[in-house]
Amino acid sequence: MTVLRAAIGAEWIKLWTIRTVWWSLVAALVLMAAGAGQYALYAENGDLDPGLFRDGLVPAGSIAVLALSFAQLAFVALAMLAMTGEYSTGTSRATLTWIPSRFRLLLAKSAVVAAVIFVGGTVAGVVGGVVAFPVLGDLGDAGGIVPTALKIGAYLALLGVVAVGLGAALRGPVLTLVVLLMLVVVVPPLLQVPDIAVLTAIADGLPGVAGNHFLLGDTDPYAPGLGLVIVAAWAVAAFAVGYRELNRRDA
Amino acid sequence: MLITLEQLTKRFGATLAVDRLDLEVRPGRVTGFLGPNGAGKSTTLRMILGLDRPTSGRALLDGRPYSAYEWPLRKVGALLEAKAAHPGRTGRDHLRAMARSNGIAPGRVDEVLEMAGLGGAARKRSGTYSLGMGQRLGIAGALLGDPPVLILDEPVNGLDPDGVRWIRGLTRDLAAEGRTVLVSSHLLSEMQVTADHLIVIGHGRLLADAPLDRILAGHASLEDAYYTLTDGSALR
Ligand SMILES: Nc1ncnc2c1ncn2[C@@H]1O[C@H](COP(=O)(O)OP(=O)(O)OP(=O)(O)O)[C@@H](O)[C@H]1O
Ligand SMILES: [Mg+2]
Repeated sequence: MTVLRAAIGAEWIKLWTIRTVWWSLVAALVLMAAGAGQYALYAENGDLDPGLFRDGLVPAGSIAVLALSFAQLAFVALAMLAMTGEYSTGTSRATLTWIPSRFRLLLAKSAVVAAVIFVGGTVAGVVGGVVAFPVLGDLGDAGGIVPTALKIGAYLALLGVVAVGLGAALRGPVLTLVVLLMLVVVVPPLLQVPDIAVLTAIADGLPGVAGNHFLLGDTDPYAPGLGLVIVAAWAVAAFAVGYRELNRRDA
Repeated sequence: MLITLEQLTKRFGATLAVDRLDLEVRPGRVTGFLGPNGAGKSTTLRMILGLDRPTSGRALLDGRPYSAYEWPLRKVGALLEAKAAHPGRTGRDHLRAMARSNGIAPGRVDEVLEMAGLGGAARKRSGTYSLGMGQRLGIAGALLGDPPVLILDEPVNGLDPDGVRWIRGLTRDLAAEGRTVLVSSHLLSEMQVTADHLIVIGHGRLLADAPLDRILAGHASLEDAYYTLTDGSALR
Protein backbone atom coordinates (compact mmCIF):
# COMPACT_ATOMS: atom_id res chain seq x y z
CA MET A 1 0.00 0.00 0.00
CA THR A 2 2.81 2.42 0.85
CA VAL A 3 4.48 1.60 -2.47
CA LEU A 4 1.27 2.46 -4.30
CA ARG A 5 0.90 5.69 -2.35
CA ALA A 6 4.48 6.62 -3.25
CA ALA A 7 3.82 5.89 -6.92
CA ILE A 8 0.69 8.04 -6.84
CA GLY A 9 2.62 10.82 -5.12
CA ALA A 10 5.31 10.72 -7.80
CA GLU A 11 2.79 10.74 -10.64
CA TRP A 12 1.01 13.64 -8.95
CA ILE A 13 4.23 15.69 -8.87
CA LYS A 14 4.96 14.74 -12.48
CA LEU A 15 1.52 15.81 -13.68
CA TRP A 16 1.67 19.25 -12.09
CA THR A 17 5.25 20.07 -13.03
CA ILE A 18 4.76 20.32 -16.78
CA ARG A 19 2.69 22.94 -18.51
CA THR A 20 0.44 20.59 -20.46
CA VAL A 21 -1.89 20.14 -17.51
CA TRP A 22 -2.49 23.88 -17.16
CA TRP A 23 -3.06 24.42 -20.84
CA SER A 24 -5.48 21.53 -21.07
CA LEU A 25 -7.49 22.66 -18.06
CA VAL A 26 -7.70 26.24 -19.31
CA ALA A 27 -8.64 25.01 -22.78
CA ALA A 28 -11.32 22.77 -21.29
CA LEU A 29 -12.90 25.62 -19.33
CA VAL A 30 -12.81 27.99 -22.31
CA LEU A 31 -14.31 25.38 -24.62
CA MET A 32 -16.98 24.65 -22.04
CA ALA A 33 -17.91 28.29 -21.49
CA ALA A 34 -17.99 29.06 -25.21
CA GLY A 35 -19.90 25.87 -26.06
CA ALA A 36 -22.43 26.39 -23.28
CA GLY A 37 -23.06 29.97 -24.36
CA GLN A 38 -23.57 28.87 -27.94
CA TYR A 39 -25.95 26.00 -27.13
CA ALA A 40 -27.90 28.23 -24.74
CA LEU A 41 -28.38 30.70 -27.58
CA TYR A 42 -29.66 27.91 -29.82
CA ALA A 43 -32.12 26.99 -27.08
CA GLU A 44 -33.21 30.55 -26.72
CA ASN A 45 -33.81 30.66 -30.50
CA GLY A 46 -35.90 27.50 -30.27
CA ASP A 47 -33.36 25.44 -32.24
CA LEU A 48 -32.84 22.79 -29.59
CA ASP A 49 -33.81 19.13 -29.57
CA PRO A 50 -37.22 19.05 -27.80
CA GLY A 51 -36.03 15.95 -25.96
CA LEU A 52 -33.90 18.18 -23.75
CA PHE A 53 -36.89 19.97 -22.22
CA ARG A 54 -38.03 18.89 -18.77
CA ASP A 55 -41.44 20.22 -17.76
CA GLY A 56 -41.17 22.93 -20.39
CA LEU A 57 -37.78 24.13 -19.14
CA VAL A 58 -34.20 23.46 -20.27
CA PRO A 59 -31.94 22.31 -17.41
CA ALA A 60 -28.80 24.49 -17.57
CA GLY A 61 -26.79 21.38 -16.78
CA SER A 62 -28.00 19.71 -19.99
CA ILE A 63 -26.52 22.62 -21.94
CA ALA A 64 -23.20 21.90 -20.22
CA VAL A 65 -23.52 18.28 -21.35
CA LEU A 66 -24.00 19.40 -24.96
CA ALA A 67 -21.00 21.73 -24.71
CA LEU A 68 -18.98 18.81 -23.39
CA SER A 69 -18.66 17.45 -26.92
CA PHE A 70 -15.93 20.07 -27.38
CA ALA A 71 -14.57 20.42 -23.87
CA GLN A 72 -14.07 16.69 -23.34
CA LEU A 73 -11.37 16.71 -26.02
CA ALA A 74 -9.16 18.88 -23.85
CA PHE A 75 -9.56 16.44 -20.95
CA VAL A 76 -8.88 13.48 -23.22
CA ALA A 77 -5.74 15.22 -24.47
CA LEU A 78 -4.57 15.83 -20.91
CA ALA A 79 -5.09 12.19 -19.98
CA MET A 80 -3.48 10.65 -23.01
CA LEU A 81 -0.47 13.01 -22.89
CA ALA A 82 0.20 11.97 -19.30
CA MET A 83 0.93 8.50 -20.66
CA THR A 84 2.20 8.99 -24.22
CA GLY A 85 4.46 11.85 -23.07
CA GLU A 86 6.57 9.17 -21.38
CA TYR A 87 7.32 7.69 -24.78
CA SER A 88 7.56 10.86 -26.87
CA THR A 89 10.07 12.39 -24.45
CA GLY A 90 11.94 9.16 -23.72
CA THR A 91 11.25 9.18 -19.99
CA SER A 92 9.43 5.84 -19.97
CA ARG A 93 12.58 3.90 -19.14
CA ALA A 94 13.45 6.16 -16.23
CA THR A 95 9.89 5.96 -14.94
CA LEU A 96 9.98 2.17 -15.01
CA THR A 97 13.23 2.07 -13.07
CA TRP A 98 11.47 4.10 -10.36
CA ILE A 99 8.36 1.96 -10.45
CA PRO A 100 9.18 -1.42 -12.02
CA SER A 101 5.69 -2.85 -11.49
CA ARG A 102 3.82 -2.01 -14.67
CA PHE A 103 0.55 -2.57 -12.87
CA ARG A 104 1.39 -0.18 -10.08
CA LEU A 105 2.62 2.44 -12.52
CA LEU A 106 -0.49 2.27 -14.67
CA LEU A 107 -2.72 2.27 -11.60
CA ALA A 108 -0.95 5.31 -10.15
CA LYS A 109 -1.13 7.21 -13.42
CA SER A 110 -4.79 6.33 -13.93
CA ALA A 111 -5.66 7.33 -10.37
CA VAL A 112 -3.94 10.71 -10.62
CA VAL A 113 -5.40 11.49 -14.03
CA ALA A 114 -8.87 10.38 -12.95
CA ALA A 115 -8.77 12.46 -9.76
CA VAL A 116 -7.57 15.61 -11.50
CA ILE A 117 -10.06 15.21 -14.33
CA PHE A 118 -12.91 14.45 -11.94
CA VAL A 119 -12.35 17.77 -10.18
CA GLY A 120 -11.60 19.67 -13.41
CA GLY A 121 -14.61 18.13 -15.13
CA THR A 122 -16.93 18.96 -12.27
CA VAL A 123 -15.73 22.56 -12.27
CA ALA A 124 -16.19 22.69 -16.05
CA GLY A 125 -19.71 21.31 -15.65
CA VAL A 126 -20.59 24.03 -13.15
CA VAL A 127 -19.06 26.67 -15.42
CA GLY A 128 -21.12 25.40 -18.35
CA GLY A 129 -24.35 25.51 -16.35
CA VAL A 130 -23.61 28.92 -14.90
CA VAL A 131 -22.83 30.36 -18.34
CA ALA A 132 -25.91 28.76 -19.91
CA PHE A 133 -28.47 29.70 -17.28
CA PRO A 134 -28.65 33.49 -17.82
CA VAL A 135 -28.55 33.05 -21.60
CA LEU A 136 -31.49 30.65 -21.44
CA GLY A 137 -33.60 33.36 -19.83
CA ASP A 138 -37.16 32.23 -19.07
CA LEU A 139 -36.42 28.77 -20.46
CA GLY A 140 -33.66 28.01 -18.00
CA ASP A 141 -33.73 25.75 -14.96
CA ALA A 142 -30.69 26.04 -12.69
CA GLY A 143 -31.77 23.23 -10.39
CA GLY A 144 -29.64 20.37 -11.64
CA ILE A 145 -26.39 22.17 -12.35
CA VAL A 146 -24.31 20.69 -9.54
CA PRO A 147 -25.52 17.07 -9.75
CA THR A 148 -25.02 17.16 -13.51
CA ALA A 149 -21.56 18.66 -13.06
CA LEU A 150 -20.60 15.82 -10.72
CA LYS A 151 -21.81 13.33 -13.30
CA ILE A 152 -19.74 15.10 -15.94
CA GLY A 153 -16.72 14.80 -13.66
CA ALA A 154 -17.33 11.07 -13.19
CA TYR A 155 -17.80 10.43 -16.90
CA LEU A 156 -14.67 12.39 -17.84
CA ALA A 157 -12.59 10.67 -15.16
CA LEU A 158 -13.49 7.27 -16.65
CA LEU A 159 -12.83 8.56 -20.16
CA GLY A 160 -9.44 9.74 -18.88
CA VAL A 161 -8.64 6.19 -17.75
CA VAL A 162 -9.59 4.97 -21.23
CA ALA A 163 -7.12 7.50 -22.67
CA VAL A 164 -4.31 6.50 -20.28
CA GLY A 165 -4.81 2.80 -21.01
CA LEU A 166 -4.88 3.34 -24.77
CA GLY A 167 -1.81 5.55 -24.49
CA ALA A 168 0.04 2.75 -22.71
CA ALA A 169 -0.99 0.29 -25.41
CA LEU A 170 -0.28 2.49 -28.43
CA ARG A 171 2.54 4.72 -27.08
CA GLY A 172 2.47 7.32 -29.86
CA PRO A 173 0.54 10.51 -28.99
CA VAL A 174 -0.74 11.06 -32.51
CA LEU A 175 -1.94 7.50 -32.99
CA THR A 176 -3.54 7.47 -29.54
CA LEU A 177 -5.35 10.74 -30.11
CA VAL A 178 -6.59 9.58 -33.50
CA VAL A 179 -7.97 6.37 -32.03
CA LEU A 180 -9.63 8.26 -29.18
CA LEU A 181 -11.19 10.80 -31.54
CA MET A 182 -12.49 8.02 -33.73
CA LEU A 183 -13.99 6.28 -30.75
CA VAL A 184 -15.60 9.31 -29.14
CA VAL A 185 -16.23 11.83 -31.93
CA VAL A 186 -15.99 10.43 -35.44
CA VAL A 187 -17.47 6.95 -35.42
CA PRO A 188 -20.69 7.49 -33.38
CA PRO A 189 -22.40 9.83 -35.88
CA LEU A 190 -21.25 7.64 -38.78
CA LEU A 191 -23.04 4.74 -37.13
CA GLN A 192 -26.09 6.72 -36.03
CA VAL A 193 -26.90 8.73 -39.15
CA PRO A 194 -27.94 5.81 -41.40
CA ASP A 195 -30.53 4.92 -38.71
CA ILE A 196 -29.98 1.18 -39.06
CA ALA A 197 -30.80 -0.68 -35.85
CA VAL A 198 -27.60 -2.75 -35.67
CA LEU A 199 -25.34 0.23 -36.30
CA THR A 200 -27.18 2.38 -33.80
CA ALA A 201 -26.92 -0.38 -31.22
CA ILE A 202 -23.15 -0.56 -31.77
CA ALA A 203 -22.93 3.22 -31.38
CA ASP A 204 -24.84 2.95 -28.10
CA GLY A 205 -22.02 0.79 -26.80
CA LEU A 206 -19.29 3.34 -27.53
CA PRO A 207 -18.00 5.36 -24.58
CA GLY A 208 -19.00 8.84 -25.83
CA VAL A 209 -22.55 7.82 -26.66
CA ALA A 210 -22.94 5.83 -23.45
CA GLY A 211 -21.63 8.80 -21.49
CA ASN A 212 -24.16 11.05 -23.16
CA HIS A 213 -27.01 8.72 -22.22
CA PHE A 214 -25.82 8.81 -18.65
CA LEU A 215 -25.38 12.56 -18.50
CA LEU A 216 -28.69 13.50 -20.13
CA GLY A 217 -30.61 10.92 -18.11
CA ASP A 218 -31.97 9.25 -21.26
CA THR A 219 -33.91 6.09 -20.54
CA ASP A 220 -33.83 4.85 -24.12
CA PRO A 221 -32.33 2.42 -25.12
CA TYR A 222 -31.00 1.70 -21.62
CA ALA A 223 -31.12 3.22 -18.16
CA PRO A 224 -28.79 6.18 -17.59
CA GLY A 225 -26.82 4.28 -14.95
CA LEU A 226 -26.01 1.58 -17.48
CA GLY A 227 -24.43 4.30 -19.63
CA LEU A 228 -21.91 4.94 -16.85
CA VAL A 229 -21.32 1.20 -16.43
CA ILE A 230 -20.52 0.97 -20.15
CA VAL A 231 -17.98 3.80 -19.89
CA ALA A 232 -16.48 2.10 -16.84
CA ALA A 233 -16.22 -1.15 -18.80
CA TRP A 234 -14.28 0.71 -21.49
CA ALA A 235 -11.97 2.10 -18.81
CA VAL A 236 -11.33 -1.37 -17.38
CA ALA A 237 -10.76 -2.83 -20.84
CA ALA A 238 -8.35 -0.04 -21.87
CA PHE A 239 -6.48 -0.44 -18.59
CA ALA A 240 -6.16 -4.18 -19.16
CA VAL A 241 -4.89 -3.75 -22.72
CA GLY A 242 -2.47 -1.02 -21.64
CA TYR A 243 -1.15 -3.20 -18.83
CA ARG A 244 -0.71 -6.18 -21.10
CA GLU A 245 1.28 -4.14 -23.61
CA LEU A 246 3.44 -2.52 -20.91
CA ASN A 247 4.28 -5.96 -19.61
CA ARG A 248 4.82 -7.62 -22.94
CA ARG A 249 6.98 -5.05 -24.69
CA ASP A 250 10.44 -3.75 -23.83
CA ALA A 251 10.35 -0.33 -22.20
CA MET B 1 25.23 -6.43 -3.55
CA LEU B 2 26.06 -8.89 -6.25
CA ILE B 3 24.90 -8.58 -9.85
CA THR B 4 24.58 -11.99 -11.46
CA LEU B 5 23.92 -12.69 -15.13
CA GLU B 6 22.88 -16.25 -15.92
CA GLN B 7 22.99 -17.18 -19.59
CA LEU B 8 21.53 -13.76 -20.29
CA THR B 9 20.39 -13.50 -23.90
CA LYS B 10 18.53 -10.87 -25.92
CA ARG B 11 17.48 -11.13 -29.50
CA PHE B 12 15.97 -8.25 -31.49
CA GLY B 13 14.56 -9.88 -34.59
CA ALA B 14 17.58 -11.13 -36.51
CA THR B 15 20.08 -9.39 -34.21
CA LEU B 16 21.50 -11.35 -31.34
CA ALA B 17 22.32 -8.37 -29.14
CA VAL B 18 23.35 -10.27 -26.02
CA ASP B 19 24.53 -13.84 -26.28
CA ARG B 20 24.47 -16.10 -23.19
CA LEU B 21 26.34 -13.81 -20.82
CA ASP B 22 27.33 -15.56 -17.62
CA LEU B 23 29.08 -13.42 -15.07
CA GLU B 24 29.13 -11.77 -11.67
CA VAL B 25 29.75 -8.14 -10.82
CA ARG B 26 31.16 -7.87 -7.31
CA PRO B 27 30.95 -5.12 -4.72
CA GLY B 28 33.87 -3.04 -3.53
CA ARG B 29 35.41 -2.37 -6.89
CA VAL B 30 34.80 -0.45 -10.10
CA THR B 31 33.91 -2.82 -12.91
CA GLY B 32 34.42 -1.39 -16.36
CA PHE B 33 32.10 -2.63 -19.09
CA LEU B 34 33.72 -2.37 -22.51
CA GLY B 35 32.97 -3.31 -26.06
CA PRO B 36 32.56 -1.77 -29.52
CA ASN B 37 29.43 0.12 -30.58
CA GLY B 38 26.53 -2.29 -30.76
CA ALA B 39 28.30 -4.90 -28.63
CA GLY B 40 25.26 -5.17 -26.36
CA LYS B 41 26.38 -3.19 -23.31
CA SER B 42 23.33 -0.94 -23.02
CA THR B 43 20.99 -3.83 -23.74
CA THR B 44 22.61 -5.84 -20.95
CA LEU B 45 22.26 -2.95 -18.52
CA ARG B 46 18.60 -2.45 -19.51
CA MET B 47 17.92 -6.12 -18.83
CA ILE B 48 19.50 -5.83 -15.37
CA LEU B 49 17.07 -2.97 -14.71
CA GLY B 50 14.07 -4.93 -15.91
CA LEU B 51 13.49 -2.60 -18.87
CA ASP B 52 14.19 -5.09 -21.63
CA ARG B 53 12.83 -8.57 -21.21
CA PRO B 54 15.54 -11.20 -21.73
CA THR B 55 14.90 -13.65 -24.57
CA SER B 56 16.33 -16.23 -22.20
CA GLY B 57 18.44 -16.33 -19.06
CA ARG B 58 18.23 -13.99 -16.08
CA ALA B 59 19.79 -10.95 -14.50
CA LEU B 60 19.67 -10.89 -10.69
CA LEU B 61 20.63 -8.52 -7.89
CA ASP B 62 21.51 -10.50 -4.78
CA GLY B 63 19.49 -13.34 -6.22
CA ARG B 64 16.36 -11.36 -7.05
CA PRO B 65 15.26 -9.60 -10.22
CA TYR B 66 15.24 -5.78 -10.14
CA SER B 67 11.46 -5.64 -10.21
CA ALA B 68 11.23 -7.69 -7.01
CA TYR B 69 12.60 -4.80 -4.94
CA GLU B 70 10.00 -2.65 -3.26
CA TRP B 71 12.13 0.52 -3.37
CA PRO B 72 14.50 -0.20 -6.28
CA LEU B 73 16.12 3.25 -6.29
CA ARG B 74 17.46 2.55 -2.83
CA LYS B 75 19.14 -0.60 -4.16
CA VAL B 76 20.28 0.41 -7.62
CA GLY B 77 21.14 3.83 -9.00
CA ALA B 78 21.24 3.87 -12.77
CA LEU B 79 22.29 6.28 -15.46
CA LEU B 80 20.94 5.22 -18.82
CA GLU B 81 21.91 6.34 -22.29
CA ALA B 82 18.78 8.27 -23.04
CA LYS B 83 17.83 11.51 -21.36
CA ALA B 84 15.72 10.53 -18.40
CA ALA B 85 13.95 13.80 -17.64
CA HIS B 86 10.94 15.33 -19.38
CA PRO B 87 12.27 18.45 -21.17
CA GLY B 88 9.41 20.55 -19.80
CA ARG B 89 10.13 19.70 -16.19
CA THR B 90 12.87 21.29 -14.10
CA GLY B 91 15.74 19.10 -12.99
CA ARG B 92 14.73 19.61 -9.39
CA ASP B 93 11.09 18.64 -9.98
CA HIS B 94 12.31 15.57 -11.84
CA LEU B 95 14.31 14.51 -8.79
CA ARG B 96 11.47 15.42 -6.41
CA ALA B 97 9.11 13.07 -8.24
CA MET B 98 11.82 10.43 -8.35
CA ALA B 99 12.43 10.71 -4.58
CA ARG B 100 8.70 10.55 -3.89
CA SER B 101 8.33 7.39 -5.97
CA ASN B 102 10.73 5.50 -3.71
CA GLY B 103 10.00 7.05 -0.34
CA ILE B 104 13.30 8.95 -0.30
CA ALA B 105 13.46 12.04 1.96
CA PRO B 106 12.84 15.20 -0.12
CA GLY B 107 15.89 16.84 1.46
CA ARG B 108 18.09 14.39 -0.39
CA VAL B 109 17.19 16.10 -3.69
CA ASP B 110 19.15 19.25 -2.91
CA GLU B 111 22.02 17.16 -1.55
CA VAL B 112 22.52 15.26 -4.80
CA LEU B 113 22.01 18.41 -6.88
CA GLU B 114 24.81 19.97 -4.88
CA MET B 115 27.02 16.91 -5.40
CA ALA B 116 26.36 16.95 -9.13
CA GLY B 117 27.20 20.64 -9.32
CA LEU B 118 24.01 21.49 -11.14
CA GLY B 119 23.49 24.62 -9.02
CA GLY B 120 20.96 27.19 -10.22
CA ALA B 121 20.20 25.22 -13.37
CA ALA B 122 18.21 22.80 -11.22
CA ARG B 123 15.29 25.21 -11.33
CA LYS B 124 15.37 25.51 -15.12
CA ARG B 125 13.50 23.19 -17.44
CA SER B 126 15.73 20.26 -18.31
CA GLY B 127 15.05 20.72 -22.02
CA THR B 128 17.34 23.75 -21.86
CA TYR B 129 20.26 21.74 -20.42
CA SER B 130 23.46 21.08 -22.31
CA LEU B 131 24.56 17.47 -22.84
CA GLY B 132 26.82 17.60 -19.81
CA MET B 133 24.20 19.21 -17.59
CA GLY B 134 21.70 16.53 -18.57
CA GLN B 135 24.34 13.95 -17.70
CA ARG B 136 24.92 15.56 -14.31
CA LEU B 137 21.18 15.44 -13.63
CA GLY B 138 21.17 11.75 -14.55
CA ILE B 139 24.06 11.05 -12.17
CA ALA B 140 22.32 13.03 -9.42
CA GLY B 141 19.35 10.73 -9.97
CA ALA B 142 21.53 7.63 -9.72
CA LEU B 143 22.86 8.84 -6.36
CA LEU B 144 19.45 9.86 -5.02
CA GLY B 145 18.62 6.64 -3.18
CA ASP B 146 22.16 6.23 -1.77
CA PRO B 147 22.14 2.78 -3.39
CA PRO B 148 24.60 -0.08 -2.85
CA VAL B 149 24.68 -0.69 -6.62
CA LEU B 150 25.48 1.87 -9.31
CA ILE B 151 25.03 1.17 -12.99
CA LEU B 152 26.34 3.94 -15.20
CA ASP B 153 26.08 3.77 -18.99
CA GLU B 154 28.77 6.05 -20.42
CA PRO B 155 28.68 8.50 -17.50
CA VAL B 156 31.43 10.80 -18.78
CA ASN B 157 29.74 11.25 -22.15
CA GLY B 158 29.53 15.01 -22.67
CA LEU B 159 31.14 15.96 -19.38
CA ASP B 160 33.78 18.69 -19.20
CA PRO B 161 37.25 17.87 -17.77
CA ASP B 162 36.05 18.81 -14.28
CA GLY B 163 33.11 16.48 -14.68
CA VAL B 164 35.28 13.64 -15.92
CA ARG B 165 37.51 14.02 -12.90
CA TRP B 166 34.47 14.15 -10.63
CA ILE B 167 33.15 10.86 -12.02
CA ARG B 168 36.55 9.26 -11.68
CA GLY B 169 36.72 10.22 -8.00
CA LEU B 170 33.07 9.44 -7.39
CA THR B 171 33.14 5.93 -8.84
CA ARG B 172 36.33 5.11 -6.95
CA ASP B 173 34.90 6.47 -3.69
CA LEU B 174 31.63 4.59 -4.13
CA ALA B 175 33.51 1.36 -4.73
CA ALA B 176 35.78 2.02 -1.76
CA GLU B 177 32.65 2.32 0.38
CA GLY B 178 31.89 -1.26 -0.61
CA ARG B 179 29.33 -0.57 -3.33
CA THR B 180 28.98 -2.41 -6.60
CA VAL B 181 29.90 -0.06 -9.43
CA LEU B 182 29.39 -1.07 -13.06
CA VAL B 183 30.44 1.52 -15.62
CA SER B 184 30.31 1.25 -19.39
CA SER B 185 32.63 3.49 -21.35
CA HIS B 186 34.52 3.92 -24.58
CA LEU B 187 37.19 6.11 -23.00
CA LEU B 188 39.88 3.51 -22.43
CA SER B 189 42.46 5.86 -20.94
CA GLU B 190 39.82 6.88 -18.39
CA MET B 191 38.89 3.26 -17.68
CA GLN B 192 42.55 2.39 -17.21
CA VAL B 193 42.78 4.79 -14.27
CA THR B 194 39.26 4.12 -12.88
CA ALA B 195 38.42 0.44 -13.17
CA ASP B 196 39.68 -2.39 -10.98
CA HIS B 197 38.04 -5.08 -13.03
CA LEU B 198 36.95 -5.27 -16.65
CA ILE B 199 34.24 -7.04 -18.57
CA VAL B 200 34.66 -6.90 -22.33
CA ILE B 201 31.99 -8.05 -24.76
CA GLY B 202 31.75 -8.14 -28.53
CA HIS B 203 28.71 -9.11 -30.58
CA GLY B 204 26.94 -9.79 -27.32
CA ARG B 205 29.45 -12.43 -26.27
CA LEU B 206 31.83 -12.35 -23.34
CA LEU B 207 35.42 -11.69 -24.45
CA ALA B 208 37.06 -11.05 -21.10
CA ASP B 209 36.15 -10.88 -17.42
CA ALA B 210 39.30 -10.22 -15.42
CA PRO B 211 41.11 -7.77 -13.16
CA LEU B 212 42.55 -4.73 -14.91
CA ASP B 213 46.15 -5.68 -14.29
CA ARG B 214 45.65 -9.11 -15.78
CA ILE B 215 44.11 -7.62 -18.90
CA LEU B 216 46.91 -5.07 -19.11
CA ALA B 217 49.66 -7.66 -18.71
CA GLY B 218 51.96 -7.69 -21.72
CA HIS B 219 50.32 -4.62 -23.28
CA ALA B 220 51.51 -1.03 -23.45
CA SER B 221 48.08 0.34 -22.56
CA LEU B 222 44.46 -0.65 -22.11
CA GLU B 223 43.86 0.57 -25.64
CA ASP B 224 46.41 -1.94 -26.86
CA ALA B 225 44.89 -4.77 -24.85
CA TYR B 226 41.40 -3.81 -25.98
CA TYR B 227 42.27 -4.06 -29.66
CA THR B 228 43.78 -7.48 -29.15
CA LEU B 229 40.66 -8.63 -27.29
CA THR B 230 38.05 -7.17 -29.60
CA ASP B 231 39.88 -7.86 -32.83
CA GLY B 232 37.17 -8.69 -35.34
CA SER B 233 34.33 -7.72 -33.04
CA ALA B 234 34.05 -4.10 -34.11
CA LEU B 235 30.98 -2.92 -35.94
CA ARG B 236 31.49 -3.14 -39.66
N1 LIG C 1 15.23 -1.67 -29.17
C1 LIG C 1 16.01 -2.29 -30.08
N2 LIG C 1 15.47 -2.83 -31.19
C2 LIG C 1 16.24 -3.46 -32.09
N3 LIG C 1 17.56 -3.60 -31.98
C3 LIG C 1 18.17 -3.09 -30.91
C4 LIG C 1 17.42 -2.40 -29.90
N4 LIG C 1 18.29 -1.99 -28.94
C5 LIG C 1 19.51 -2.42 -29.33
N5 LIG C 1 19.44 -3.07 -30.51
C6 LIG C 1 20.57 -3.71 -31.21
O1 LIG C 1 21.26 -4.50 -30.28
C7 LIG C 1 22.66 -4.42 -30.49
C8 LIG C 1 23.31 -3.98 -29.19
O2 LIG C 1 22.99 -2.63 -28.94
P1 LIG C 1 23.44 -1.86 -27.62
O3 LIG C 1 22.82 -0.54 -27.65
O4 LIG C 1 23.18 -2.74 -26.45
O5 LIG C 1 25.01 -1.74 -27.84
P2 LIG C 1 26.08 -0.93 -26.97
O6 LIG C 1 27.14 -1.90 -26.63
O7 LIG C 1 25.43 -0.22 -25.87
O8 LIG C 1 26.63 0.10 -28.06
P3 LIG C 1 27.18 1.59 -27.88
O9 LIG C 1 28.58 1.45 -27.45
O10 LIG C 1 27.09 2.16 -29.25
O11 LIG C 1 26.33 2.29 -26.88
C9 LIG C 1 22.84 -3.48 -31.65
O12 LIG C 1 22.98 -4.27 -32.81
C10 LIG C 1 21.57 -2.69 -31.71
O13 LIG C 1 21.29 -2.30 -33.02
MG1 LIG D 1 25.23 1.79 -25.39
